[in-house]
Amino acid sequence: MKIQVNGSKAGDKESGCALCGATWGDYYEEIDGERLFFCCDVCATEFKNMLKEVKNRTGWKKIDEITINGNFYKGRTCIAKSGGNEFKFYVRFNDNAEVETFKVTD
Amino acid sequence: MPICPVCEYRSTEWKEVAGHLYSLTRKSDATHVMWLNRNLTIKEVDVEKLSEMLEEFFSIRGELSSWIREKFIQKFYGENPHPFILAMQKPNRAVLLGYVIEHQHFLKNWVKVLSEIIFKTDEDDVVKYELDNINVEYFGYNGKPSHYELLLRMGESLGMPRKEILGYSPLPSTKTAINTWRRIAIERDWVETLAAMHSLELVADKTLRKYGAKMHYFNEAILTSNDYPQEVKDFLREGYEADQSHAGEALTLVDKYSKDEERVQVTVLRSFDAFAKYLTARLERAMEFDSKVILQ
Ligand SMILES: [Zn+2]
Ligand SMILES: [Zn+2]
Repeated sequence: MKIQVNGSKAGDKESGCALCGATWGDYYEEIDGERLFFCCDVCATEFKNMLKEVKNRTGWKKIDEITINGNFYKGRTCIAKSGGNEFKFYVRFNDNAEVETFKVTD
Repeated sequence: MPICPVCEYRSTEWKEVAGHLYSLTRKSDATHVMWLNRNLTIKEVDVEKLSEMLEEFFSIRGELSSWIREKFIQKFYGENPHPFILAMQKPNRAVLLGYVIEHQHFLKNWVKVLSEIIFKTDEDDVVKYELDNINVEYFGYNGKPSHYELLLRMGESLGMPRKEILGYSPLPSTKTAINTWRRIAIERDWVETLAAMHSLELVADKTLRKYGAKMHYFNEAILTSNDYPQEVKDFLREGYEADQSHAGEALTLVDKYSKDEERVQVTVLRSFDAFAKYLTARLERAMEFDSKVILQ
């Protein structure tokens, strides 16, 4: 999966957490067959919950690419891509890493 | 005395606190990692550098109140102003309604938390300051309507009946933020609560630009514009024309009475965290009336 967070590549220790782009921490999780880096387990759970929501809404089996812009306070505006399709949304999580707000943006 | 802003582990040197934080980030401890991400830097640095950064972040040049003001500006009015403040530069009906609907809950909680300060303090000037504040917020003064009343009138002028406004429950983020402030009021010293609450009033303090804020809470042109109902202008003007030292006065009390500055700093940062979340809730409510309200 190609991941961009706030304009930079992300998903490994060097480039940063797959959700927030931070390079602190040392947490890995296998997601869709890929070993991704996260700064903490909360970011990992948020990322997984986000992908689950996207898959539920689109019916996609796999996500090829995800672009994430924003942060914890503001929430994040994202573009997910699969095959030739694109899905744009806004997402914000609560303190338990659950999706609190999810809005499809045109 | 150096303090861990997350668990309040204390040491005589920042280097030790930095070591503590650093070792917890190696274990990916979520609360410590997140504090660093949200307050200091998202890029990992070594213990040496982290120690310098922490000391710099917490060092008070002058009064504690100057530190609070500086951090408030950095967080809400800095390079990336909070999206609600950006939206207030040209607010539409949806943004203002989002403001009204969520803020009624904030204001109700506000006076409850201030009462807790009164309950805990023995200082007369603090009691008087808080009673005055509660009056202005909730009952009005000199025959003028209260902030709470002005807020509801703003909502009515935007076409939403009072009954409907009052019927809304707070969004989850508003609720979480309110719970944070209630917890602060119950668990922390009254000075910390005083600092945590009244530093939030800096948001509408027009003197903030003097200290480096890039913009005001809202575009002042609104106050003389014909594009907004009088009630909207009345509500916004109230905050704008309030005594410039409104938040300043409380911060003076913080300087006067705080004994453990680091604890005040840590609590104030928690309050800012809740406030950022709460401001986002106003925009999320706005999205219900206009899906094009953009959060970034
Ligand atoms: Zn992260
Ligand atoms: Zn700690």
